[in-house]
Amino acid sequence: MSGAPGGLRTALVQLLAVVRKEIRQTVRDRRVMFLLVVAPLLQTVIFGFAIDFQVDRIPVAVADLDRTEASREHARRLLADGTLRRAADATSAEEADGMLDRNRAAAAVIFPPRFGADLDAGRTARVQVLVDGTDPNQATVAASAVSRYFGEVGQALARERAAAAGRPLPGTIRVTPRIAYNPSLRSAPFMVPGVLVMVLLIITTIVTAMGLSREREMGTLEQVMVTPIRPLVLLLGKLLPFAAIGLFDVLLVLSAGGWIFDLPFRGPLAVLGVATLLYLLVTLSLGLLISTVSRTQQQSFLAGFLVLQPALLLSGVATPIRAMPDWLQAVTLLNPVRWFIEVVRANLLRGADFADLWPRLLILLVLGLALLSAATMRFRKRLQ
Amino acid sequence: MSAPAPETAIRARGLTRRFGSFLAVDAVSFEVERGEIFGYLGANGAGKSTTIRMLCGLLEPSEGEATVAGHDVRSSPDAVKSSIGYMSQKFSLYLDLPVAENLAFFGGAYGLSGRALRGRVDEVLELAGLGALRRAETGSLPGGIRQRVALAGAILHRPRIVFLDEPTAGVDPVSRRDFWALIRRLAAEGTTVFVTTHYLDEAEYCRRIGLMADGRLVALDSPAALKREWVPDRVFLVRGRELPLERLRSTPGVRAAEPFGAALHLRADPAAWDAARLAALLRQAGGVDVAVDAVEPSLEDVFLAAVGSGKGGAP
Ligand SMILES: Nc1ncnc2c1ncn2[C@@H]1O[C@H](COP(=O)(O)OP(=O)(O)O)[C@@H](O)[C@H]1O
Ligand SMILES: [Mg+2]
Repeated sequence: MSGAPGGLRTALVQLLAVVRKEIRQTVRDRRVMFLLVVAPLLQTVIFGFAIDFQVDRIPVAVADLDRTEASREHARRLLADGTLRRAADATSAEEADGMLDRNRAAAAVIFPPRFGADLDAGRTARVQVLVDGTDPNQATVAASAVSRYFGEVGQALARERAAAAGRPLPGTIRVTPRIAYNPSLRSAPFMVPGVLVMVLLIITTIVTAMGLSREREMGTLEQVMVTPIRPLVLLLGKLLPFAAIGLFDVLLVLSAGGWIFDLPFRGPLAVLGVATLLYLLVTLSLGLLISTVSRTQQQSFLAGFLVLQPALLLSGVATPIRAMPDWLQAVTLLNPVRWFIEVVRANLLRGADFADLWPRLLILLVLGLALLSAATMRFRKRLQ
Repeated sequence: MSAPAPETAIRARGLTRRFGSFLAVDAVSFEVERGEIFGYLGANGAGKSTTIRMLCGLLEPSEGEATVAGHDVRSSPDAVKSSIGYMSQKFSLYLDLPVAENLAFFGGAYGLSGRALRGRVDEVLELAGLGALRRAETGSLPGGIRQRVALAGAILHRPRIVFLDEPTAGVDPVSRRDFWALIRRLAAEGTTVFVTTHYLDEAEYCRRIGLMADGRLVALDSPAALKREWVPDRVFLVRGRELPLERLRSTPGVRAAEPFGAALHLRADPAAWDAARLAALLRQAGGVDVAVDAVEPSLEDVFLAAVGSGKGGAP
């Protein structure tokens, strides 16, 4: 053999050898194949169906202690639009309260005695509403449905009385929101990109982290490092096959999303392709970096979750970044997951293109290269 | 383009490695000649693997220097890596891949490709007697065969020097013998072999031996010279009945006498005693059916003398 390794041709030969070996090993390992191919599909379907932010048909217990024409009529109209659903009738306020405790209802509406009489007499009539706050989202929806209804009733009464008294009618404000991009406010088009981001992150990071740790554990890494192969060539060879699998997963999740959940594809797919490659550079490098600070596969796995969980929480995938305290919002600027989910949603749902998204893509590239350099550097150092 | 092969394949000078404050290899100096089988002996933890890993460019020396195949291990580890083959102490090929794919991968890592790679893989498989097992999953093979696969992987790129770290540990005697036949064949073709072993009988195959104890190289020479140097007494095997053990021990010129099975092992000053005179003495002192034979001292005797029995004994 020649004493001089180097040379582009040699590097290419070495790179191909690593790529081929990684593919052979991955294909032979059924569990990894399952993780890489079947899991993303399952996740898409499960998350798409299970996570639904839309709230309707909230179960309500009605306690009509007044038993007049007026109380019956208002109870019926309150429950008419489908947001609330009459789940039970109670004969006392205590009974209605108990139904909340026992989870038979998420809200209780109580018409006290003399409700109808007060209305007829022009006095202030009271309605009591109890809401179970365990699920804040549902509680907010239930409370606002009740206040909206009685607000409208109040306005109508005010106008009636003004007319009856011959005074001028008070002006009213009507708000008509128009919801852009996802007019029916379905959750799936919002969630499927989230699933995509999450699945890619978890799978590619953990698989690469554990793959390299396994080589360290088995001693094969030492045998590889005694060949003249350069660390960067070795690491790239380990990344490329998983980048291909990552792209395949994206196609899989998007096809499933389009087919099952009517995910819109408004933007140019090329943007999505580029963004995915950059994101994979990030996740795969992160996996390598994690493996360089772990001694065993198990440590890699745990370290992976310790890193991935905050990365997902601080990404805006499930909870809006705008709702976080300022300092935490600042932290999310360094989170590649945040930039990728923004690109994916903007591209798919709003049709954003390169001109809109290049700053975010650039940030992803910078973060990816930084992680890859850090991984390569740590890897070299670990060998000493 | 090969650099001219130096006569000295490996040269270590004051080679030292610390782990924290622990001195694993302590200022070791030696030279290994081209085409030589060099045995590196020592108990567990003596520093054998650490020395090899420094020579292979896997571990940076804390102090001292070494050249391997004419390249400095510190300044040109890549050149060193291209000229050597290495079999680590722990089996380290991919257990989940077939034999031939393991070899193809490592060949690729050494820069071999295409027809040259395929041809060379066939060649080393043939050499190691593995032709029939090329498609077998490596993890399914017994230890002795795995070691031959590992050796095949270490010589794919025709290295001038191979480092074998306990290549026969835990391998059955027949496989050990086959393996050593391979090693000797490599050496006969001009490859320098640096091998560590636990088995003192294997060390007899080595042209020279370095003896490690607690990180230091305590002895270095051919097996015969080591025996002369460290076991200067003549060793006798004495058989018979009614042997006067106490009388022997107090005889001038007799350095030690120990029961050895039904017989006695006796070390004596070669200037004062030979087999015939010992036999005469014993018969005179009441021995019956006395037979005395001079025997060759073993490397175990050397090891005990050099390392001292207080330090964990023979490897
Ligand atoms: N990476 C390491 N970190 C700390 N100590 C080590 C390391 N490698 C080896 N050692 C220690 O150095 C000593 C020599 O080890 P080694 O060279 O493997 O011995 P041998 O191969 O002769 O059995 C042992 O005490 C071992 O525990
Ligand atoms: Mg060892």
